[in-house]
Amino acid sequence: MKILVAVKQVAALDEDFEIRADKKDVDEEFLLFDLNEWDDFSLEEAMRIKEESPDTEIEVVVVSIGPDRVDESLRKCLAKGADRAIRVWDDAVEGSDTVAIGKMLAEVVKKEAPDMVFAGVQSSDQSHASTGIAMAAYLGLPHAAVVADLKYSPGANKATIRRELEGGILQEVEIACPAVLTIQLGINKPRYASLRGIKQAAAKPIEAWSLGDIGMSASDVGEGSAMSRVRRMYVPEKGRAQMIEGTIAQQAARIIEIIKEFKGA
Amino acid sequence: MTNPIEITRILFEDFQPQTIHLFYAFGYSAIAIFIYGTYTQIRKYRRGKDDGSWGELLHRFWDMAKTMGSHRTLVRRDKKAGRAHGLIFFGFVLLFIGTSTITLEYDILEPLFGIKFWYGNFYLWFSLVLDIAGFGLILGLIYMMYRRKWLNLPKLSYARLDRQPGDPDFDRPQYRREDWAFLWSFILIGITGFVLEATRLVWLSGRPSVWDYRMWSPIGAALAHLMQGLGMTSEGASAFRPSLWWFHGLLSLTFIALIPRTKIKHIFTAAASLMFKDPLAGRRLPRVPDDQKNAGYKAITDLTWKNLLHLDACTKCGRCQEACPANAVGAPLSPRDVILSLREFANNALNKKELPKEAELDIHGKDVGQVFMETLWSCRTCLACVEICPVAVEHVPIIVQMRRHLVEQGEMEPLLEKTLQTIHKSGNSFGESKRKRAAWAKDLSFEIKDARLDPVDILWFVGDYASFDPRNQKVTQAFAKLMNAAGVDFGLLFEGEMNAGNDVRRVGEEGLYEYLATSNIQSLSDCDFNSIVTTDPHSYNTIRNEYPDFGGSYEIQHYSTVVKKLLEDGKLKLKKKLDYRVTFHDPCHLGRFNKGYDAPRDIIKMLGCDLVDMGRNRDNSFCCGAGGGRIWIPDPVGTVKPSQNRMNEAGTIEGLQVFVVSCPKDLTMFEDALKTSGYEGKFIVRELIELIDECMDYPEEILEKEVVAEIE
Repeated sequence: MKILVAVKQVAALDEDFEIRADKKDVDEEFLLFDLNEWDDFSLEEAMRIKEESPDTEIEVVVVSIGPDRVDESLRKCLAKGADRAIRVWDDAVEGSDTVAIGKMLAEVVKKEAPDMVFAGVQSSDQSHASTGIAMAAYLGLPHAAVVADLKYSPGANKATIRRELEGGILQEVEIACPAVLTIQLGINKPRYASLRGIKQAAAKPIEAWSLGDIGMSASDVGEGSAMSRVRRMYVPEKGRAQMIEGTIAQQAARIIEIIKEFKGA
Repeated sequence: MTNPIEITRILFEDFQPQTIHLFYAFGYSAIAIFIYGTYTQIRKYRRGKDDGSWGELLHRFWDMAKTMGSHRTLVRRDKKAGRAHGLIFFGFVLLFIGTSTITLEYDILEPLFGIKFWYGNFYLWFSLVLDIAGFGLILGLIYMMYRRKWLNLPKLSYARLDRQPGDPDFDRPQYRREDWAFLWSFILIGITGFVLEATRLVWLSGRPSVWDYRMWSPIGAALAHLMQGLGMTSEGASAFRPSLWWFHGLLSLTFIALIPRTKIKHIFTAAASLMFKDPLAGRRLPRVPDDQKNAGYKAITDLTWKNLLHLDACTKCGRCQEACPANAVGAPLSPRDVILSLREFANNALNKKELPKEAELDIHGKDVGQVFMETLWSCRTCLACVEICPVAVEHVPIIVQMRRHLVEQGEMEPLLEKTLQTIHKSGNSFGESKRKRAAWAKDLSFEIKDARLDPVDILWFVGDYASFDPRNQKVTQAFAKLMNAAGVDFGLLFEGEMNAGNDVRRVGEEGLYEYLATSNIQSLSDCDFNSIVTTDPHSYNTIRNEYPDFGGSYEIQHYSTVVKKLLEDGKLKLKKKLDYRVTFHDPCHLGRFNKGYDAPRDIIKMLGCDLVDMGRNRDNSFCCGAGGGRIWIPDPVGTVKPSQNRMNEAGTIEGLQVFVVSCPKDLTMFEDALKTSGYEGKFIVRELIELIDECMDYPEEILEKEVVAEIE
């Protein structure tokens, strides 16, 4: 029995950041990296299933696509109890879109042949919410997005899930397994990875896979093969809002003044 | 004139040999039970982990003897009880030594070597001293009975804040029974001793070697006269004596036999606890050995032998509970009950011949003898309990060790968890960018040196609250101006500084602490400086006491000592004097932790203020509630916070104008409490630095630039 959890190391903006010279991204120097918040929950869900069935041997494997720095986040996953970690990378992957990342993850899933695949609903930095579903599409596996509750006995051929819909509505779905589920925040209470735990997890190896290991080549990935590309990243100009004080008459006069200003400009 | 050799006390006179043998059989049995009990206790301690406290035993013994001899820790904050205990203690010690000398002569020296000394003048002085000792013992015990029965002291109540009425370990009536059994049996031993003495005198009133010297045992003699007055004859006394003799003897032997199993054992455990006292307990928390898989205490066997010994030293006096800020505001914590729970647990689990299974050794949980998570998280690690414990029980290190386990299990407040993650990510508890750490310095009219680039005399370790909290930044700027005006050559680490880790360590996140401490030590080791100064007592404590364990030994001062010296040396000149009526709150980490009581007070006096101390001051200062990471854990709504409790105390000072603090966290906590407890407008809270700043005479350009900066 194996559960595969796809995770991502996301970037958060430091204050006073700067956009890169090519205007396509934030200068990496101003980014703070950490595990995507959703992934805390999907890993916890896998760990919950593992720990609730102590008699079944369940292997939790975390997978991420990313450069060396991602190891730090994978170690955090290992500290929380994941059994193995795989990181796939090639410099050519830089600039890939979510579909290509989904394809790479799908290839890892094919090699690992897990009984269940989790991913976060979305990443907090890019918010595409499509990587997990793209992976499911490449695998041809049943999939469900925004899963807020999961009932699954390890090894069963189906699971009952609740999906979050708009307006606070939940949809209960029965899904055939293996399946790909994208996990929503709040499905459980993620555990704390103590620093000692993370340090000790440094002893567990992180498997570094190349594109060749998953049967792909540089031409399958990267900006060249992406279906979308970033043209420009910028900080939008701030809108202006102002509280107009005074009596009703004064307020009306001020509004008229502002309208005239705009018309005149 | 009686031959001195005849002036002695009769032993076993008129006893049949069988009776004497029987008595010896009882005596040896009592000793055997005592030895076996002692063995099981020592076996219990040996089931704990190692502790490095062996060593310097002579020195330790001498310290212990001084503490016990002076009764210093017992009279503190409870003079009457301490003195009564002194009477009991010295009475008991003298009586014990006295009785031992009888054994020494009768059972050892005389039969083996024919040496006798227990007669004549020696005997008479012996008799007098023991009479006085016995009298003191009884007086002390009577006071203790009176205190327990009629004073209704809350600290002597065994009702617990962390259990509900009806819970099996809620108010522990067995403790009460034991207390009274102890007092009664002890006082009965004393009283029957005197009655026995008087009976002997009446019985032997015809024997001049006894009767003529009766006044050397004044209490016995007085009682003898009383008995005679009531009509007791020599024959009557002779008939009455054996049963009383047996009663007194058997009670005493039972008492001795039971020492290792009852509270009487504190005779030994309290002494040993004092002997193995760690002067840095709580100030320097123990490291987790590198090869240890899990941090902290999960099972009772994770405690060290020293911890287990401390548990047994507790006499339930309740001084710790009385001093505890968490307890004072109704949080489910009494340091005493943590110790007693663990003691019960240890006695249940570790006194058996075989050690129980691991699952039965878990000290965390909701069962009898287990410690609640809420209890552990209520602790402010302010050391009030450790400070006042008369027998040197070290509560806080045990509590932090237990928290380390909770942290590894992730059993903590979500907000605290978030803060720890923030500190790991950004190096500070505010989640601010590292680059903004010294942003407060931009408004100053002068540049502060970067200690990473230029050598400085004094390196200023600013700390999180003083760096990022907007209110505290004003104080930080004022201190920079003071140092600048005094011509001190100082510099900062700027973004090279991280949270010092003091509170992270006291939360129990040892891994994160190690990371912070080693990072800061790395930054410091790359700088050239002579000493460190900080305005933050928390940073001060960990750098001073704990960084040495990680390879960073520095000379560090709290700003109060530095500023005091600058004022004394005339490097800082006061433009004017203040006439405020002020009180001073000793920050735990400056005062109790590091004994920095005087410098802030001296400065306050130099400023001309009228200083009125609160009732709880210096070593009994009352924690603001922010220690031990509690600043990151919200207090339950609707309860009085420790800081509010403190404000109420300050509010009783007639005409108080300023509540002076010298710790960034105190400023935050108390300014908040001032508002929430309704003293706003009555007095104000100020950092000592701000008061000094008020008295400064800065050159015009510094002031001007600052006004401009404020307008911007």
